[in-house]
Amino acid sequence: MKRALLIAGGTVGGLGAVLAITPPQLSTTSSINIAGGTAIGTTGTSSSASASSSTSSSAPAKSAKPVATKKATAGATTQPTASQSATATASAAATQTTAPVTTTIKDGTYTGPVINVNYGNVQVKITVSNGKITDAVAVKAPKGKNDRYTNMAVPILKAQTLQAQSANIQGASGASYTSYGWFKSLQGALADAGF
Amino acid sequence: MNHLREQIAVWGTIVDVDCYSQFVSDADLYLAMKQITDFCEDVDRDFSTYKEDSWITRLRLGKVAIEDCPDDVIEVWDLCAQAKWLSDGAFDPWAVKDGFDPSGLVKGWAADKCADMLVAAGVPHVQVNAAGDLALRGGWFDSAVEEIKPWSIGVVNPENRMEVVKVYEITDGAIATSGTYERGAHIRDPHTGLIAIGAASATVVGPAGWLCDAMATAVMVGGSDCAPWFGQPELQGYQVFAVNRHEETAWEI
Repeated sequence: MKRALLIAGGTVGGLGAVLAITPPQLSTTSSINIAGGTAIGTTGTSSSASASSSTSSSAPAKSAKPVATKKATAGATTQPTASQSATATASAAATQTTAPVTTTIKDGTYTGPVINVNYGNVQVKITVSNGKITDAVAVKAPKGKNDRYTNMAVPILKAQTLQAQSANIQGASGASYTSYGWFKSLQGALADAGF
Repeated sequence: MNHLREQIAVWGTIVDVDCYSQFVSDADLYLAMKQITDFCEDVDRDFSTYKEDSWITRLRLGKVAIEDCPDDVIEVWDLCAQAKWLSDGAFDPWAVKDGFDPSGLVKGWAADKCADMLVAAGVPHVQVNAAGDLALRGGWFDSAVEEIKPWSIGVVNPENRMEVVKVYEITDGAIATSGTYERGAHIRDPHTGLIAIGAASATVVGPAGWLCDAMATAVMVGGSDCAPWFGQPELQGYQVFAVNRHEETAWEI
């Protein structure tokens, strides 16, 4: 369920988006909905960080596929003329955003390892259907004096995990408060699921 | 173009670093990443309020004075003073029950330091995401089209954390978001001691991470009353986006 946000405020007292003498090169864009098929942090990494590797990086960003690489290779071997290669490359680029889900991801629920953090244990369980993560819950989370970490961090982390698949951004500000325990347990669950 | 992305587990959270360089080898990228990992661990050792012998804890307990502290701690102390002045006291790390607590500024400050260390090591394209406080340098390399593009950073709706409500495109700069979704209602108004009610979340974008972080915290307290601060000369080039509590509205400069 999405809520629409109305931007109520505007500029104050003549202050526009004035940049300093050495401008930080900022510009704003309008709000983006979360449709689309590119995961956080993976655009541009298709040639180096493959989605199925188990490196420590990019744990949530597993749904990007090195499609462009694959198709470009196919184009090079089967279409030797320059114009046909260009067509193959162009079609690869055009179809990049509608890449199908890889077949290594299996639907089901996956529970990651129990990770001991210094204030308790964390364990994450994810639900995968149609090749996407549809739920992520903590089946073990620390209690006690660090409750505030637990109570707020768990729902936030769940939202981040789910959102990571769909926004065409390379990072997120605000909802990325993660705990190391959640991250490591989630990583294990994702690996089991074939991400 | 070489690429390295790693998560550093530190400060009870994850610092996510994503960087590209056409100038240094993969091996040197790893070395640069190690250098900033060491820095982050030093920051933890010196600033953590959960460590009994950190400089900050000892300051809070009155065991040391600020003059006794190392340069980084003094630098953060001074930046806190600047941010307090720029925010008319809405950001006040000294008005905290157990003493000076720079947590509302340190992550943004440290993210900037990490990004600058990477650039100095020959890595021009950097994203350091310290649990929602980001430092960006040089855009990112989209290998699909072999182009450098600005980093697109999404701000998440605090009422619906699955929704990205705004995207900022930043080539060089910092962005920090303070909000109830970070660690619950943990920000208190220094003037009243009550939980901050100015905004549901506040995002500040600008050149310096420490100031973005501090101002985002301050806007959480002050809400749209903070708007005039962004007219001060020191805040030229800073933008703010705040989501109002209880209404489906936001305001921005």
